[in-house]
Amino acid sequence: MAAASTSTSASADSAEQDALKALTFQRLHPKTYLERFLSENVRPDGRDLDEWRNVSVNVVVCGVKAEVAEPELDRPEEGFLVPNLDLPAICSPKFKPGPPSDEAQVLSDRLNEVLVASGVVPTTSLCIEPGKAVWVLYVDATCINYDGNAFDATLLAMVAALRNTRLPKATYYEDTKRTICSRKVMEPLQIGRLPTSFSYGIFDGTHLLADPTSFEEPLLDTTISVVIDENGGLTSVMQLGLGLVGGADVLDKCIGAAEECWKTSRKNVYEAL
Amino acid sequence: MSSALTARPRGRQPDQLRDLSIVYEGLDRVDGSARFGFGSTKSLSSVSGPIEVRPTLENPSQATLDVQIRPLAAIAGTDSKALATILKTVFASSLFLSHHPRTLVQIVGQALCGTESGSGLGSAGRGWNATLTASLVNATTVAFLSAGSVPMRGVVCAVAIGRLQADPSSSPILILDPEEAELPRLDGSGCFAFTFSAVLPGSPLSAENVPRCALSWTNYTTAGPFDVQEFKRACDFAKKGAMEVWLKMKESVCWLEKSAPPPRIRAESKVEDDETPGEMEVDDDKVEI
Repeated sequence: MAAASTSTSASADSAEQDALKALTFQRLHPKTYLERFLSENVRPDGRDLDEWRNVSVNVVVCGVKAEVAEPELDRPEEGFLVPNLDLPAICSPKFKPGPPSDEAQVLSDRLNEVLVASGVVPTTSLCIEPGKAVWVLYVDATCINYDGNAFDATLLAMVAALRNTRLPKATYYEDTKRTICSRKVMEPLQIGRLPTSFSYGIFDGTHLLADPTSFEEPLLDTTISVVIDENGGLTSVMQLGLGLVGGADVLDKCIGAAEECWKTSRKNVYEAL
Repeated sequence: MSSALTARPRGRQPDQLRDLSIVYEGLDRVDGSARFGFGSTKSLSSVSGPIEVRPTLENPSQATLDVQIRPLAAIAGTDSKALATILKTVFASSLFLSHHPRTLVQIVGQALCGTESGSGLGSAGRGWNATLTASLVNATTVAFLSAGSVPMRGVVCAVAIGRLQADPSSSPILILDPEEAELPRLDGSGCFAFTFSAVLPGSPLSAENVPRCALSWTNYTTAGPFDVQEFKRACDFAKKGAMEVWLKMKESVCWLEKSAPPPRIRAESKVEDDETPGEMEVDDDKVEI
């Protein structure tokens, strides 16, 4: 009996030691660690190369605040949409407290590009009085749990928050030059399109990985993001880095795979919210 | 109707670039510098490297690439920061950084023209529109050529594509190199950067002996939906434009030392005197010691 219990505890110890060795290897040689997994056609978290995670892994909280402002002189009928993503220290050990990191700034800018250029909220719908008063929408997102691919998750959160937003009815009075908002009448925002984003990464010019995790992200040479709207049409295609896997261009394949994924799992993601 | 939509300023064709200008600035304190312009949309870029690196940024296996981007007016905001990150990735793949470990290669890019409208703050990409971004990428490439100190795997050439769509039912029209005046009419736009390199696998050499190229960056975003075919069309369209940029860069190497191109050779082939000293040449007789 005693021998059996020591042998089980010994095997438990050796399992722990193996796990520790694997973790050390992962920290010291991340690229080789990932290569070993990919040569077996699997990823460190057990997914297939083209498998997507559940939408709930990256937790992003998003809020929309509105204020009234004067429009730009040469765009008197357009309001403003100001998206911002914050990656605080709580979401991942790679972010330190302090001013926004490069990653947060880059993601904020990409989200700005997609949200405003794709017309999710047409800026003309934010006009209260041309040339005098327009709405400014501050869409602030904070990531609580970061595990790679914050762009997809944040876009989802921002569009969902905008869909949920209700603004008070505002009227501009010429005589007092003030805008008065009604306390009772709330109108939902006019939403143009509902985009969802699909991101891919190319590792070492040999493997195409869907939905990279925070471990895989720094090891990727190339990232590809495909944004699809609610009718299956493409809104935006972004590629950063050379898009060659084994000598062949994979951008078309990514777009096709993104459309497939959209059809099977993300088509009605905004209906549920 | 469609002809009214595609009518471009000064009668440009949809696939016609504006006059490209490359000037090698010869700034004193940096290793290489150059100005690139699509017509009046110009950017200036300077390159220093390999130079000393701060210990915190030091990388034992390759040179650290540091990119700083400045708009024409106002301080650099998140859009400039994002552009710097993009340029870092695009150029890191086109340079042999592993040849100079524990050093720094610093790129500083400056826009030489702003947008006509607004302050550029708070609206998407109003400060850095697609054409200005393309001119910045090209200016950086040409600055690397002028420096000659960082070995290059390939030459990065970028062009901008604009999309015009009269109404959702008609097919969209793509135009190359949209200028400032055309931006408000555009339904979508994007910058396409291609790395030209003889070592890339793929399609055979084209007729003009331009080497093969691969897409290394794009941010094509539109207000109306598009499909894969349109994206492919945009890509091929941009590729042709990028080839023209490459040919211009190759031509510019002949005035690399003189900093300015020889006075324009017009269609009447009036060849101007090439011997007139440029601003950089010093007339030894007149220098006082």
